Order: sequence, then structure tokens, then C-alpha cells
Amino acid sequence: MGYRAKIALAGAALAALGVSAGVPAAVAQEKKPITWWYETAAPENQEALQKILVEPFNAAHPDESLSIDFRGAELDKQLRIAMLSGSGPDVVYTAGPSYVASMAQAGQLLPLDDYAAKLGWNERILPVFLELGKYNGKLYALPKTYETLGLFYNKTLFEKNGWQPPKTIAELETLADAMKAKGLVPFAAGNADWRPTNEHYVSIVLNSIAGPDNVYKALNGEIPWTAEPFVKAIDTLNDWWQKGYFGPNYFSLTGEQAFAQVATGQAGMAPTGTWNFQNVPRYFPQNNAEPGFVGFPSAEGVPYPIYALGIGSTFSIANSSQNPDGAAAVIDTVFSDKFYGEMNTVWQGEWNTPLKDLSGVKMGEGVIPLYGETMKNLAASVSDGQYGYTTWTFLPPATDTYLVSGMEEVWLGKITTAQFLEKLDATFKEEKAAGKVPAIPKR
Amino acid sequence: MWLYLVPTLAINVVIILIPALLTIALAFFQWDGISAPVFIGLGNFVALWSDGPFWTALENNLIWTAIFLTVPIAMGLLAASLLLIVPRRGSTLFQVVYFLPVIIATAITARVWQGMIYSPVTGVFGYLQKLGLPIVNPLSQTSTALFGVATVDLWHWWGFLCVIFFAALRQVPQEQIEAARIEGASFWQMMRYVLLPGIKPTIMLMMIMTVIWSFLVFDFVYILTQGGPAFSSEVLSTLAYRKAFYDLNVGQAAATALVISLFGLVATFFYIRIQSRESV
Repeated sequence: MGYRAKIALAGAALAALGVSAGVPAAVAQEKKPITWWYETAAPENQEALQKILVEPFNAAHPDESLSIDFRGAELDKQLRIAMLSGSGPDVVYTAGPSYVASMAQAGQLLPLDDYAAKLGWNERILPVFLELGKYNGKLYALPKTYETLGLFYNKTLFEKNGWQPPKTIAELETLADAMKAKGLVPFAAGNADWRPTNEHYVSIVLNSIAGPDNVYKALNGEIPWTAEPFVKAIDTLNDWWQKGYFGPNYFSLTGEQAFAQVATGQAGMAPTGTWNFQNVPRYFPQNNAEPGFVGFPSAEGVPYPIYALGIGSTFSIANSSQNPDGAAAVIDTVFSDKFYGEMNTVWQGEWNTPLKDLSGVKMGEGVIPLYGETMKNLAASVSDGQYGYTTWTFLPPATDTYLVSGMEEVWLGKITTAQFLEKLDATFKEEKAAGKVPAIPKR
Repeated sequence: MWLYLVPTLAINVVIILIPALLTIALAFFQWDGISAPVFIGLGNFVALWSDGPFWTALENNLIWTAIFLTVPIAMGLLAASLLLIVPRRGSTLFQVVYFLPVIIATAITARVWQGMIYSPVTGVFGYLQKLGLPIVNPLSQTSTALFGVATVDLWHWWGFLCVIFFAALRQVPQEQIEAARIEGASFWQMMRYVLLPGIKPTIMLMMIMTVIWSFLVFDFVYILTQGGPAFSSEVLSTLAYRKAFYDLNVGQAAATALVISLFGLVATFFYIRIQSRESV
């Protein structure tokens, strides 16, 4: 090959490179990317997100290109590091409101107030959840899904024994004793796979025995956690443990193994969260049992039922985002009736977005009616202000982790209720002073 | 000639020295891992001093070290000396069998023990319970949880020591063994006066490494009990992890990590001293 030919070839190659590099650049200019890092999801759930969210969104927004990156169980740590360096995703998916407070404090999140007004979030979303996403008076996050605690039971077993779902603590204890006498475990429960399960029961007694008004006051620092109503609540929970209501294998069973015992009739009821609805179709039909779900019984002087609110994760927009409008459009799509209906048809318990009015939502076939009913009741109760506070959503991080281990210490006789509440209160006060307590919605 | 050092030195600086210095610095700051760190002097160490779980964790690390300095080393030595007696082909087979648990991922080993052995529903313990044996899951009792976890780690670990000791025993000079045999030494005399002194450096190294590794133990505890019930199996590394990633208290986590390193440093000091004495 001659010298000229070589030059010509090199020129052609460069031109080819230029063309091939130029095409995606042009497309990229047209389509603005929106990135979103998601946590662990089973393959069928990843597919559901792709089909129900990503594909329709990109089709409806030709200028945007949404992509979801599944980061696994380590998402939270990766996200914190990425946000520190300003290289995080556009849609910021945090593990809960206590993370939002820290990130907002550090200036890593964009205030959402303008989007909330413009896109109608203020009208569509339950106000209590908008309050929750606020920091220093500005809105920084919307909850992706909310959950509550209540009492699952085996309707078939109850009918056979002539039992009624209890509404008061006294009725609950009578029923639990009757179950024990029959050789059943009253409360199906286990924390072998998730130690924080302990706090589900603490949240229940704080709200249904001490009452949500007292919890609200304590969260705002008006009364200490050592106050009498909390002593009574923790003492009652300890009594239940000592009487054996939680069965002999609490530390050995996983949450799912324990829940299955309600379906098989080995256990009478399960005081647990609405996320367990995903386990209902897996265990109840094959045991020919019908499931039931009611609010947890209340102590005297506390209204019935109190639904303690919990938030699994939240949506925000990164301050460093190049495409905040696109990110807001994605969040807006998630908070639509259509998305709620389609997602909850295939994936229950994880996408209970806090929409004010669920009457316009259409669920697909095959969803158990109990789930839809429960969620509608819950939204209505929250709308009426009849709600409580879960510890994992409203307590600051160190107070919450202490609570998990501290309750075990009470159960196992290592410390007293008073010692437990004293340390809880001290940790809480320290974190409150450091501004780590998430926003508490007014009652 | 100094150029030879550059590649390893660069890796050490980037991967070890900088993070290590950052950790040391962070131990004197209050930091949630998100906002700006605030200098608080010795505040984190003072907080640790009055933290009950910290002392429980430290005590558990010491118990763990005591267990691993004795049980697996004794088991490894015994099995290695027995391997010396069996014919060559048999000893290879046993070495493979003993070594297998070492190469299984710790997460798998832990889950197998948790679900198939200890579990009262799906495990061997549950089966024995049904047969009427008064046996409970050790991980569910505060008095036995740490030992329950240690048993799993022991099962996974001792084979490694056995193979290392066996390799060392085979390096003991043949003339010494022959001489002892001609003198009419029994098996135990052979062990006591010829073989054990012959592999003493290996045993010492393994013991010092055991101290270091014992203070680093994390995986089995985290998977099997997450430090529970009621802190009964908490160790320093699980405590540090919880402080950093659950309490969002990176400063105290770094202070805890420094305490772990302190014990490792003491062990390393002794190791270097013994080594330099031997090379003289």
C-alpha cells in the first residue's frame, strides 16, 4: 500500500469513527438520561418494574430515557458514598426518613415543594406522608410504600373453636391463654433472619397500649421515654414473653417460617406487618385455611384500631441531578392510580404508595380481596388521623438499633424495663440534640 | 534498586495506608457518614468506655481467642500426627476431607448449620427434639450462642490447621525421627521430644495468626446471630459494623476498629520479635 493510500485509509477510518461516535452523541442530546438505583428485587419483580414502569415511561416521554439499576442489598451504603461525591443517581431511593434528614442536612437533596405544587402531589398524597418527608419546613422526600402492623389470624381455626378476633388487650390475653391451653403457640413469631423483628412488637405495644398521643409527645421531646405509659407497655410485652405467647422457637424461626405456622394451625395469630400479605397465597390455600387481618387490640383509653405507620423507603431527587424534571416525572408516574393498580396486582406489599384516594384504583384478577380491603381501610383510617408511629420510621437510627437489642435483654432477664427505657431515652435525647429525629407529622 | 519497591509500595499506600490513616482520624470525629464530620477529641473512646455492649463484645473476643488457641490447634495437631501413621494414599484422602470445609464459602457453611443442623423446624436438632431428646438450638440461648457460632467456625477451620501442621511435620528431618526410633522412643515420646519441637515455629505462627484472626471474626457471627440474643454473641467487628451502618455513628465504629487493630498489633509485635530472635 502506498503512502497516499495509507493516509486515505486513515482518513476514512477517522471519518468512520467520527460518524460512529457522533450518532450516539446526537441521540444522547435528544434523550436525557434519568438514573435510578433500586435495591434487591427478584427477577420476576425486576421484569415487572421494566414492563410496568420503564417501558411505558420511555414510550410516553420520547425525550427522556429512564433506566433502573438493581444494586442489591448494599444499595444503602453505595448510595451514601455516591451522594457524598456528587455522583449518585437522579432518583434517590433511601432506606427511610432518618436517612433523608441527614442527606437534606448535608445539602445532597433537591427541595420538592415546587414539583409537589406543580404536579399535584399535595392533592394526591396523604398529607401525613408529605409531612414526613419534610426537613426544616421543606419537602425533600416522598415515601414509596407504607405499611402497618396488625393481627393476622386463621379464620378457619377461629371458626372451629368459636373464637372472635380480639379488640381489647384483655380479650387478646384471654384468647392467647385459651390457645396455649390447646397446645397452640399464641403468637407466630421469629427473628432468626431479621433481628429487628423485635421492634415490630415494641411498636405494637407503644401504640396500642401506651397510645399514639404519648408516642407523639415522646418523639417531640415533651415527655421522656421513661414515662409511665411506656413502662406499662414494655412490661406487658415482657409479660407476654414470659407467659410463652411467642413460643419456644422465637430465635430459631425465620419470619416466613413463623407466619406459615398460622396457616398450618400450629399458631393462632401473628401480630405482624402488612408485608406478610405476600406470604398469604403461599401458605393459606394449601392448608385449606382462610386468612383474616384486623387491627391490633387496644388497651383501655386507646381508640381501636390504631394503625402504626411505617415507611419502607423514600424517593428524592439528587441536588446534583442534571435532569431533575425527568426525575420528577418518574416519581409522578409512580404516584398514579394506574401504576398502583398494575404494580399491586403482580407485586403486593412493596408498592403501597400513599395515595389519598384508592377508589379509582383498579386491581387485576387474582389479588386476594382481603389485601385490597385492608389497604382501603388503612388509607381511610390514616385520612381520619387514626394512626400511630412505627419505631423504624420515626426513631433516629441509634435509638432504633438499641431498641432492637435492648428489648431482647428485657425478655431474657438481663436488664429491667426501667433500665431499658432509661438507656433508650438517653440515646434518643442525644440524637434529638444532633437533629437526627425525622419529621413527626402533627396529630 | 529502590524502584523495585514502587509497585507494592504504591498499592500499600492506596489500599492500606490511606484508609488506615482515615480510620484513625475518624475515630476522633463525630460523623454519620453523610454530613460533615465534627472533631470531638477522645469523645468516641469515652462513649465506648461506658458502653455495656462494647465490654461484652471485647469479652466475647477474648473467649473466642481462647477457644481458637486451644481446640482447633489441638485437633489439628492430633489429626496431623495420626496422618503421619496412616499409609500415604490414606493420608491424602483424609487431608482432602479435612480441608474441604475450608474451601466452602462461609455464608454457605453458616446457612447449612443454621437451617440443616441447628433449626428446630428444618434441622437435625429439630428431628432429635421430635424423638424426645432435650436438645435446643444453641444459637437461641444467651449462655450458648457464642459457642454455637464458634462450633461452626471450628468445623470450618480446624482442617486448615491440620493440613498446615501435617506439611510441617513432614519437614522434620528424617535422621532425627530415625534416631529416635532406633533409641526405642514411643509415639508420644516421639511427639514430645522430636516432632513438636521440630514444628514449633509453625505452631507459634499459627497461634499468633489465630489471635489476629480471632479479633477480626465477623462473618459467622453476623450470619448466624447478628450478635444476639441480647448481645450474647456480639464481637467487636459486628459491633463496629452496627455502629457504622445501622447507628450511622462512623466515628465510634472507627474507634472500635482501632481497638481491634490494637490487639492485632500486639500479636504482630510478638510475631516479629520471635521471628527476629529465630533469624539470629
